[in-house]
Order: sequence, then structure tokens, then C-alpha cells
Amino acid sequence: MESLDEVIDAMIADRVIHRHRRIWLLVIALVVVAVLVVLATGGWKEKKGRTVPTLTAPTTVTAGRFEYSFTKAEIVQTPKTEYDEAESKLKVYFDAKNVDTEEHESVSIDSQLMLFVPGHGEENVESDGASCHDDKIGWVLVYGLPPESCSMTFKVAPDFKADVVEIGVLQEHYESDNEALGANDKPYWHNEDAAAVVRLSPKVVIDAGENK
Amino acid sequence: MKLYRPATILVGVLFVLIGGLTRLATPDQVYDEQNIKVVHGTIGEPLDYEGTGSTVKVTRIKFARSVLDSSDSDGKKPLETNGIYVAIEWDAIRGDRKPDLTNATLQADGGSVYQPVEGLSHSGLDFPDAGYAKTGTVVFEINPADMKGLTLELRPTMLFNVYNSDITVDLGIPTEAIAQQMVDGAVAQYIVEDAVTRVAS
Repeated sequence: MESLDEVIDAMIADRVIHRHRRIWLLVIALVVVAVLVVLATGGWKEKKGRTVPTLTAPTTVTAGRFEYSFTKAEIVQTPKTEYDEAESKLKVYFDAKNVDTEEHESVSIDSQLMLFVPGHGEENVESDGASCHDDKIGWVLVYGLPPESCSMTFKVAPDFKADVVEIGVLQEHYESDNEALGANDKPYWHNEDAAAVVRLSPKVVIDAGENK
Repeated sequence: MKLYRPATILVGVLFVLIGGLTRLATPDQVYDEQNIKVVHGTIGEPLDYEGTGSTVKVTRIKFARSVLDSSDSDGKKPLETNGIYVAIEWDAIRGDRKPDLTNATLQADGGSVYQPVEGLSHSGLDFPDAGYAKTGTVVFEINPADMKGLTLELRPTMLFNVYNSDITVDLGIPTEAIAQQMVDGAVAQYIVEDAVTRVAS
């Protein structure tokens, strides 16, 4: 048989639990709504502008183990033929020099070291690779020799037109992986990040197929 | 019960001492990599790949101002350079086990590391099937200002660290003066022949 005290205690406890229930529900609902609003408006991340310099060609950029002197850009249009669809590519010309003062090693320019930045929220376009020395794909640049003229191509839509294109140049860093995680402490070239953005005014060139 | 009897402490101290002694007893590290045997030789010397029965030999080196594949059509222009090309003619005899894929580089005393030229289809260095021998050419573009002590290095690329050989061949350019002579005497054009496989005798 429970005593009166116990009955009163139970009643008080019941009251205490239920007293602020509506407020609690409201607060939780508000938090959920706030999260939804933040997500809908593009997340909590602070939007930063471009943090690397924007340069206009002709210009020289030193990025990682290469020094690039940008000269010109072309939009190469290949008209539709009986066998092939019409296609366009953006071709960027530059002189490249190997300035790897750390390892003095001959190396070819990796296709990941440049990006075409279309802007307007569109995704960056990766390159199809660099060719130097009379259009030799994957040409190896030797440390200590004068610059070679090179070009890099990017696939674009067949009707692509632009007065100005922006090319993002990435730089590798000569550093080692984290030794504390058990990696080798020898530094090497990796960890590419943005070095600069170069603006070029492309000329439209029609490739009638002599080169095919 | 007594937790720390003198004998317990003595055993602990002994373990510490033994640990220290074993550290003293390990020999100083002699090699950078303990699983790599460096095989050093000169031009014309067949060099052994440890445990594979294969050998590789540099038969001749040739300096040139331009290079061309032997199978290129008549109208094709040779590859020119602002530096100098060095063509290394090699002869490889394959044993029963294939040596691990080798990565050919040239190293000079000035610190330069040269990689083979891209854009020549006949340039390269590899091993034929067992029982065969192969001759071929690998071409490098190099900087004439850093040629002293030029050494060809054939370094195996390994997935697992097994016992392996690192072959280095001294290309016989001990001084700057000899390097200059090599550059001055470079031929105008070198034609890279396709690799030829024959039965190992």
C-alpha cells in the first residue's frame, strides 16, 4: 500500500516532467528548421573568392617544378564529316621549362597540372594531356635545357565560344608524407594545389582535317 | 605475500640490460637498402641480375644532335634538341626467371637524373622470353652542361621488397673535357633501329 507521500511525490514528478514539454518541443523544432534553412541556402561553409592571382596572357607562371610562359589559345573546331560528329577543343600554347631544383630530374608535364575553368558554376574541365616538341605527347622536359614550346588541349562543347578563357595552373610541392603515420620521410613532388589562373583570348581555328 | 622480492627486481634489471646489449650488437647499417645488390660495371661488361640468370650489357653509346626511328616514313622530320641525345645500345640475355621490370635512368655527377625520350617508338630497354637474347637502343635527351660521370642505372621496380639487383653502368665520361669532346664529336643524326631478338647461344 503506497503512502500519501509517495502519491504526492509521483504527482509532483509528473508535473515537473510535463511542465516545459511544449517549450522543449518548440526548441527542437526550431533547431530542425534552422538546419534545413542552412542546408537549403548552400551550407555553413564560408564562400571565399579566388585566393590565387589572376593573370592575363602573355605571362609567366612558376608552379612546382615547371615554369610556363603562356602565349596564346585557340578553339580548334573540327567540322562534321560523314564519319565523325563535329567537335571542338580548346588548345592552350605555352613554353615550358623544367625548373626542378630539388631533384634535377627529367619529367613530362602531367595532364592534371592544368584545368580549364569555365566559371558560372560549371565544373572544371580536365586536360587531355600536354604535348611538346612538335606535338609529341608526354615529351620529357630535361632540367637545365631551354624551354620547349608545348600545348595542352581541353575538350569543350562543339559550339563553344568565348572571348576570354581561364586556365587554372596547379603546382606540386616537394614534401614528404607524414612520417608519424609510418610513411617514408623522403620528400617528393606531389600535393598539387592552385598556383594561378591565366586569362587568354582564344582565336577560332577550323581544322579541316589535313592533320588527320 | 611480498610483491617485490629481490629476485623479481633482478630479473627486471636483467631484461633491460639484455635489451641494451642486443642494440649494441647489431652491426652498423652498411647499405641504404638491404635488399638491393648494386652491380657496377663499364661499357662492354655483361652485368648479372642476381638470381635470374639474366645479364645486360651496354655495347656502345653514341652522341647525336638529332634522332629518328628507322621505321619512320621519308617525309618525317627527325627529333631535334637544344641539348644532346645519347643513344645507348644494349644487349640483354634472358635467364629462366624474368628480371623485374627495370626503369632506365641516366645520372650525372651534377645531380641531374635523365629519363628516356618519349616519342621514339624503338627506344626502350626490356628483356625477351627465356632462352632468347635481345639487342636494342634506349635514347636520352641530356644537358651538355651536366654530363660528367654519366651513369646508366637500371633499377627494378618491385611490388614486394625482394632481393634484387640495381645495375649501374659507367659510361666513361670522367671529366668535363671528355664530355665536351663527346658533344663536339656528336653525329648529326642517329637512326634508332628496332630491337632485335635472337636465340641466346
